[in-house]
Amino acid sequence: SLTRPPEEVFDILEKLGEGSYGSVYKALHKESGQVLAIKQVPVDTDLQEIIKEISIMQQCDSPHIVKYYGSYFKNTDLWIVMEYCGAGSVSDIMRLRNKTLVESEIATILWYTLKGLEYLHERRKIHRDIKAGNILLNTEGHAKLADFGVAGQLTDTMAKRNTVIGTPYWMAPEVIQEIGYDCVADIWSLGITALEMAEGKPPYGDIHPMRAIFMIPTKPPPSFRDPDKWSPEFIDFVSKCLVKNPEHRVSAKELLGHEFISNCHANSVLEQMLQEAREIQEEHLMSRDKEAEVFAIGNKLRINFEDEEDEGSGTMIKSKDEQGTLISKLNEESVNTLVDSELGTMIINESDDDEESSTMKMDGGVADEYKPAYLAHFENQDRQKRLQEQNRANGEASGAAGPAALQNMSYEELQERMKQLDPEMEREIEDLHNRYQAKRQPILDAIDAKKKRMQNF
Amino acid sequence: QQPTFHNVLVPANPYLTTEIPPWLHVYYKAAPEHDQRLKWELFRLPDLESFDAMLTRLFKQELEQIVMGYEHFRAALIWELERRKKNGQ
Ligand SMILES: Nc1ncnc2c1ncn2[C@@H]1O[C@H](COP(=O)(O)OP(=O)(O)OP(=O)(O)O)[C@@H](O)[C@H]1O
Ligand SMILES: [Mg+2]
Repeated sequence: SLTRPPEEVFDILEKLGEGSYGSVYKALHKESGQVLAIKQVPVDTDLQEIIKEISIMQQCDSPHIVKYYGSYFKNTDLWIVMEYCGAGSVSDIMRLRNKTLVESEIATILWYTLKGLEYLHERRKIHRDIKAGNILLNTEGHAKLADFGVAGQLTDTMAKRNTVIGTPYWMAPEVIQEIGYDCVADIWSLGITALEMAEGKPPYGDIHPMRAIFMIPTKPPPSFRDPDKWSPEFIDFVSKCLVKNPEHRVSAKELLGHEFISNCHANSVLEQMLQEAREIQEEHLMSRDKEAEVFAIGNKLRINFEDEEDEGSGTMIKSKDEQGTLISKLNEESVNTLVDSELGTMIINESDDDEESSTMKMDGGVADEYKPAYLAHFENQDRQKRLQEQNRANGEASGAAGPAALQNMSYEELQERMKQLDPEMEREIEDLHNRYQAKRQPILDAIDAKKKRMQNF
Repeated sequence: QQPTFHNVLVPANPYLTTEIPPWLHVYYKAAPEHDQRLKWELFRLPDLESFDAMLTRLFKQELEQIVMGYEHFRAALIWELERRKKNGQ
């Protein structure tokens, strides 16, 4: 049946949500009357890898993992057909109720999640994208892991398409550092997810993702903003997940025996939460129905409910005193550690007897005498540019930048500069990204061409 | 510094430690006018893949420089703002 056009097999009902890779729709399997979820992902070339991955997903058969039924191609879209989870994701529920979860709810959801992870990890599969948005609940209150495996493959494809830089907030330090990782990377993400359920957003959730990328591996493991609000068992659970060295992190199996989890209640503790979320959802739908009717006249087949909610995570609770939080997080010491690290480009010396070449490879530690003149020239250009930028940043047309310049600014000017900091950084990162992409494209094109030629043999 | 992990499902990025040939560095930095002169199709596939990974590394290095530059400035701003607050502004 996979050869039939998918629109003949399914009726697309309504849009359930949107993620970084595509949109998810509620759908009806015409033949059986079964309700399903379909994720539509735009993809261009190199699909073999994704298909392989999906066939692995189909082999997963656990009540704790969202079932994948198959996939279809429709023009340039890949349709991934999966089990429908009527209550949506844990992050949807938080957003709908505008409320974070209480410990008993968190413990129960974590139990399900750990069961799902135990299943995957026993089979040496890494989920790679554990977060509240990927824990789905069906109407009975069973939590299930979604999006397993697709994450890695799609990220690669997307990196080529270059539309997203993945969100780092849930990523384990070793994943960010690219030093190799294992199933316990999911356990770190689970710890972050536990904090997300308790506090509404992951640690660093309100700072720019590119800053977070550099903070996660360099700073001590995150913990609760307000530890007094939580039981010692819960705090201990999270601290066991958020161990920076993956070799010292516990497994899903061990965590199932942790007292915070083993004492958790049946899924009935989720009933009230689900009920509330359902009522709010229904209210939303009612007010949307009128719009939808109008829409349906023009487009009988498809009804699109555009999400009016804030998208993404961490937008639910807006920190009122952003500067205040920043200050408390960034005391001088932490700024220093951050600056001192060579993270992200971190190079690990594998052998001691190779000191010279390892210094050479060190980012920023490249000794000048190894540098050909043209490279020195580029670097000098960079430095000049930096300096100019800094001067500009300090509100000085010329002259030395630094604290002196700041001293001459009014308090309001300083605050204004602070406010502009992230947008400015974003622009600069965007420029850099565009330049990188332009340099990279010809290589990617050549790779694609070669691969295509190989397939033809 | 943390060690690299070898016996894991997802191995370390093999290009983290490879040396970037100077000409690639130049290509990355140079103005784009001359880019089309490079005939990438003459390279072997594994070489192309490694060049791509190296470009990504150069990109990340520069990204880090930008972020850290802002981090310095942010710290200075915070410090100055705090100082004013303490002095009762
Ligand atoms: N099987 C499903 N059943 C019911 N709703 C679903 C299902 N899968 C996804 N959804 C809904 O669609 C939304 C978007 O899912 P999607 O996986 O595309 O994005 P995400 O999980 O928010 O982020 P990411 O793209 O990183 O996975 C989810 O938040 C959820 O509300
Ligand atoms: Mg998802």
